Amino acid sequence: MRRNALLGLTATILLGWTALAAQRAASAVYDSERQIRLEGVVTRVDWVNPRAFFFVDVRGGDVVANWAVEFGNPIELERNRWKRSTLRIGDIVIVDATPARDVTRQVLARSVVHKATGKRLFELPAARPRASLKLPPPRWPDGQIRLGPPAGQKGYWGAASVKGLVESKAASVRMNDEGLLMDLSEVDRVAPFQPWAKAVYLHRQRTRLKDDPIARCMPPGGPRQFMRPNGFQFIEQRELGRILVLMGGGNRNWRVIYTDGRPQGQAAEVVLSFFGNSVGRWDKDVLVVDSIGYNERFWFTNGGLPHTEALHLVERFSRPNLDILRYEVTVDDPRTYTRPWTGGWTVQWVPGEEIEEYFCEENAESTFIR
Amino acid sequence: MRRSVVLLICSLSGLASATTLAQEGHPLTGTWSGDWGSGPSKRTHVTMVMAWDGKTVTGTINPGPDAVAVQSITLDVTTWTIRFEADGKDSAGMPVHIAAEGRVEDIASAHRTISGTWRQGTTKADFKLTRD
Repeated sequence: MRRNALLGLTATILLGWTALAAQRAASAVYDSERQIRLEGVVTRVDWVNPRAFFFVDVRGGDVVANWAVEFGNPIELERNRWKRSTLRIGDIVIVDATPARDVTRQVLARSVVHKATGKRLFELPAARPRASLKLPPPRWPDGQIRLGPPAGQKGYWGAASVKGLVESKAASVRMNDEGLLMDLSEVDRVAPFQPWAKAVYLHRQRTRLKDDPIARCMPPGGPRQFMRPNGFQFIEQRELGRILVLMGGGNRNWRVIYTDGRPQGQAAEVVLSFFGNSVGRWDKDVLVVDSIGYNERFWFTNGGLPHTEALHLVERFSRPNLDILRYEVTVDDPRTYTRPWTGGWTVQWVPGEEIEEYFCEENAESTFIR
Repeated sequence: MRRSVVLLICSLSGLASATTLAQEGHPLTGTWSGDWGSGPSKRTHVTMVMAWDGKTVTGTINPGPDAVAVQSITLDVTTWTIRFEADGKDSAGMPVHIAAEGRVEDIASAHRTISGTWRQGTTKADFKLTRD
């Protein structure tokens, strides 16, 4: 119950941030059980992806300490008309924040108030579901579904409807935006784990995902690439018999799905990689993609589901209308799970926009020891 | 000279990268190295390779001409305790039974460790292996 409350609090605090916090588990870095207030003078602003920081000198008696304040993702902030110049060096601000778990002078801002004007800065509007016109999916001249924008337009795939992969027949498994279970007793509903895999998954959950390889800028292989905060897009190179999947976050990764009719390789001969060896074919309006050849250096979904080199994925992509991508994946890894299992979600189309520049490594320097 | 320095730096960089690759699958899979012995001055190097096939963990001690196939490896995931047994040869070439029990520490680390007790014949010793 207490864990539920804390996770709920975390989810609330991080609402609007987790879509932004991106490459590491905020739950692992910040201690949502504690809140602090800082008042100080802004000394520096790091307006960089994926996490913007500003720094304040906080005076306590005769001692001045410089604190790092994480306050969001610049792309998202700029979309909501906040700018780097919103905050200037020398401004005095009052920050209500969640402190880092360790002893560093670093916090995650819940609110930032400009002391002179009383204005709240960097607030994001609550997410509102976009009205769908239920327009039909775009198609190529030969009638095949397009996975990208209609001809002559822009757009990409944005937010996923879930934050973690679970077996479809589980009614619901509550987790936060990082894939952290609200109640660990629901673990058996996530997937049909082998005992070792369940133990590893629980270890990752109990340690609040602190060892997530994505925090070290490892690529989001497997289904995870379709649930990352900054979206993705398909580049259909029909003349080359392949589809490229470009990811908006991480290391600007791409994945190749071959649609030229080549057979799937032999698992023992495939060079192991983060995105595997993928061959796809269209089954009427559904793109069916078969993938093998994954290395073991990444987590294939938020929340830390384990896998081995035996991982075999069959993904099904369909687009019932312009705005929705339906994604379904069957996970077959007999070394990790007791049987094949299937999960899925939908992804929302973002019309008229392009994926913004976003690099995992850009503000690695903003991991502070202060 | 300059070329040699650049090559050396590249080699060292490559080595550093190669030694920091994580492995997120079954915690025992991979190559482990370390030593066993009954005291700090009496250590014997050990390389152990383990693999998980979905049902059992298989292993080899000191792969190569003197390889010893591990007969059984069990892992208790509730305590991350590993036990393994093998029949090898001692330094005189005489048959000797090996039985070890240890705990896997820091399972999330690329360089997780196993340490515990190692019995070889009548010798009782300790051991420590680190995943390469």
